[in-house]
Amino acid sequence: MSGYPDSKFFRMKDHMNFKLQAENIKEVSGIIGDMVKEINWSDVANNIKSDFKATKKRLKKELNLAKKMNADDWKDFIINGEKQLGKLYQSGKMATVRREFRGVKDTAVDFYEWLRMWGMLLSTFSKDLVPSLNGALHYRWMISYFCCHSFMDKNTLGLRGKALKMHHELIFAIFRYVAENLVLLMKSDEKGGNSVDLSKKIVLLDEMTMAQIMAGFPDLVGIPYQLMPVFLLSEIDQLACMPYIDAVESYGLPSDTCPVPTSECGACVVDALPHMGSCFISSSMPCDGSVMASSYTSRRFKDLPTYHLTFPVRYEDESIMNAAVKDIKGCIKFIEEQTGEKWSWDAYFSAMKRFNKETQYELQKWEVNQTPYPQLIGPCYELFRKWNYEMDGGIDPRIVETFEKVDKLMMEAYENREEPWRGKMRHRAIVWSVPAHYYANFSNWLANCWGINVLVEMESLNYTKPLETEDKEEALKDMARLYERMVMRRHTNGGYDHVLTELWRQVEIWKPDIVIMYQHVSCKNMSTLNGLFEDQAREHGVRLIWIEHDLMDPRTVSRKDMRNKVNEYMRTVMREEPVDPSLVDFEDDASW
Amino acid sequence: MKDLKYMIEFENLLQDADNDLVKQAQKDGQKAIGYTCYHMPEVLMNVDNCFSVRLRAPRSTSIDISTYYMSNYTCEFARSLLERGIEGGYQFLDGIAGVDACSAMNRCYEHMEVLKINDKENFFVTHCDIPYKIEDYTVEAMTTQMRLRLLDVLTEKYGADTSDESLLKAVEEHNKMCRVMTEIGNYRKEENPPITGYEYHLLCLVSYCCPTSLILPKLEETLEEIKNRKPDPKPWYRTRVVLAGSEVDDLDLTKLIEEAGAFVVADRYCYGSKPGREEIVIDKDKDILTQIVEHYMRTSECARYMSEEKITQRRETVDKLAKDYNADGIIYEQMKFCDFWAFERPLASHILQEEYDWPVLSIDRPYNVRSSGQLRTRFQAFVEALEIKRIRSGKGGNA
Repeated sequence: MSGYPDSKFFRMKDHMNFKLQAENIKEVSGIIGDMVKEINWSDVANNIKSDFKATKKRLKKELNLAKKMNADDWKDFIINGEKQLGKLYQSGKMATVRREFRGVKDTAVDFYEWLRMWGMLLSTFSKDLVPSLNGALHYRWMISYFCCHSFMDKNTLGLRGKALKMHHELIFAIFRYVAENLVLLMKSDEKGGNSVDLSKKIVLLDEMTMAQIMAGFPDLVGIPYQLMPVFLLSEIDQLACMPYIDAVESYGLPSDTCPVPTSECGACVVDALPHMGSCFISSSMPCDGSVMASSYTSRRFKDLPTYHLTFPVRYEDESIMNAAVKDIKGCIKFIEEQTGEKWSWDAYFSAMKRFNKETQYELQKWEVNQTPYPQLIGPCYELFRKWNYEMDGGIDPRIVETFEKVDKLMMEAYENREEPWRGKMRHRAIVWSVPAHYYANFSNWLANCWGINVLVEMESLNYTKPLETEDKEEALKDMARLYERMVMRRHTNGGYDHVLTELWRQVEIWKPDIVIMYQHVSCKNMSTLNGLFEDQAREHGVRLIWIEHDLMDPRTVSRKDMRNKVNEYMRTVMREEPVDPSLVDFEDDASW
Repeated sequence: MKDLKYMIEFENLLQDADNDLVKQAQKDGQKAIGYTCYHMPEVLMNVDNCFSVRLRAPRSTSIDISTYYMSNYTCEFARSLLERGIEGGYQFLDGIAGVDACSAMNRCYEHMEVLKINDKENFFVTHCDIPYKIEDYTVEAMTTQMRLRLLDVLTEKYGADTSDESLLKAVEEHNKMCRVMTEIGNYRKEENPPITGYEYHLLCLVSYCCPTSLILPKLEETLEEIKNRKPDPKPWYRTRVVLAGSEVDDLDLTKLIEEAGAFVVADRYCYGSKPGREEIVIDKDKDILTQIVEHYMRTSECARYMSEEKITQRRETVDKLAKDYNADGIIYEQMKFCDFWAFERPLASHILQEEYDWPVLSIDRPYNVRSSGQLRTRFQAFVEALEIKRIRSGKGGNA
């Protein structure tokens, strides 16, 4: 193998159907033509005029602020950057009006990272550019990935110093994975590059099914099938999944189901999933909705051989471990039969040694964050943790380096007692239930607006026992234990103790003064415990701030409504004033 | 048609979970084990000194307290059961045999434990893990679960004999019940049947909610009565439908459908007879418990089974029932907020219509339909559509 991912995957021959591409370009041109015809140019002119006015007003306001600043303010501004972040938002705009000024040094760091991200994206897509460009014309979700820089900016908002560097390191690793997988998806897709040879090397994994099983197949690529077209898409651009939801609800699905499997089914209905891969590993995890979504996928792609990987729900019960192990063995055999590749214990153990090392680094982060001087906190870290645990799983050797770099920065920052959000840290919080860090930029907003620092979230607190790397039977048992405790499953399955009592245990460990209690309106696993959380929080003297949200459909609960819940609580219950009043009320309904 | 002798008595038995027959059995020293899901083999709770009671929450009105605990967008069935439990309606139970099949029902059982809805000394709630597909190892796992989480608990708590002989005895009695119910049910195939869908639904529910040994003689007597029952000269219904989908223990639903003119000829839903009233065939040379478990796994039509052959089985079963019972159409229903059936219903309805060529009415419904005007209108419209189709095809109508 040369490098990771193996460069031969990118060199495999494409068999692009040029007739199909021509037809698609004609269709897309027609759509664009129709859109142009429907444009009301006087509205466009009015919008430009109002944008100009808003920009003028903003510049005037910023100038006035600058005039009022004394020498100390200027010094602080040059070192620590701007403090009123609400002015970066403008009603009706998809992106912020400009980039954040973080102080001279940190702005330079930020700009370097911005360039580095562009460099990585261009070099990755240039490995096979044409299928990716075609993909952007076939799949509208591809367009949302053009705003990945905005996602990066959003998730680092307000960060300074080493925290900024750490977050950039983490998000870079994630986007490198995303870019590489997008190229592979488009290259092998029948509508895109149609590389049959590459397609045979790809094993598609259901939703958030963990990737570790693919570590034993170093000559294959495991791609989470719906991650790019649906799940990550919604985190980058919350508005992008609404057409999926509408499509499948028109088909007859009730509107009370979780938007994650709902969107996956909708993606099948509107034909938004690439058609490729040697086989599909469907899964019963993490919840009831996910179980059912696989029937829509198998209906859409009848030619895609499917294996249903199903693990016991009562996962603490070791008497059913045998079934879990046999299911993994069955899955390995299935992949071997479908791809002709052989499972390699050496490759698996080697990757799991890396994964164990990464887990040790993770535990060190927890240890630091449990102190009065937490360092690596915020959305990029949370996203990285989940991605590393679920989708990377020790397979990519480059990620250990990321861990090492970040760990060094974190320990330096800890020694210096730095604050990730400089001068803004008032409260310690942990997040419970389905989180809204990313699309709503919520934990960043909590820190920047109210000084509420999210130390850790429920979905990060997963399996940390080192995985067996010598005994084969024990290794399979450990893999089963790991899979059974995947993100969104570890807490919500197998009994209330894992999520309800577990919260009070974690409160003891992390010592937060606030628990951000998300209520993802369609998550039935969590909502079926609402009352007990309330009852027991009172008994334990824990402050819960309940925040309703809908992961993929802001029409149900808008981001502004989510923020208002905190605003009300902080003002009426905590009797506090915000750290940054400009962030209390702003419009971002249309933004990424 | 003349009313059946036990109709009123049976209706009264369904007014409360702890009905007269349950009380009588408990008075005789037997232990009542509550359950809901088909995944939990009914026959295993009918061993020795124990008997099964399939839980319902009849006459539910307000479910405010359980809504506080479980939120307002979770399964109404689970919430109604919890509400009834909090009200003290399951104080009579000696145990609950739960399965971790769906999150709503699992949480319902868990609340019953945490909120201590029953203060009997030996009361227990057990949670069994249930597979998503049928393989040798999943049958083995479920057999282990049933032994450890149910049978051993019955022995430990109530000294129940769960030997093979005891299991066989329970199977024999169960099969006797199944034969009676199947024979009665088969009358629904007739053009002018001596039984209505509502009556059959009633018989089926009492067979689940009462101790088998006490209800069986009454069902046998009812069978004899039906054999000699003289139907009206002309069929009462306008069209024939199969009712398929998620849990239905609400007699009013069948009543509402039949009032609209559709005879419910087959009941392919949880708490119905398909599955539930098929005989368990036992080979005495093989492990008895494994065979019982496998019977329930193979006959289950629960949407939770996600493997391809089970998905196909569910569609084939509905199609076969519709053909065997000479149905004109299918009503595919789903309990509101049930995730499994929420996804299954639209897809299955679509496929049964497009590929199996059945007219399908696809609905979601509350736990208790009462006299829902909205549903009544939809049933009436469906009946008319089926009649028009029948007239156009030259077969005429019953009206």
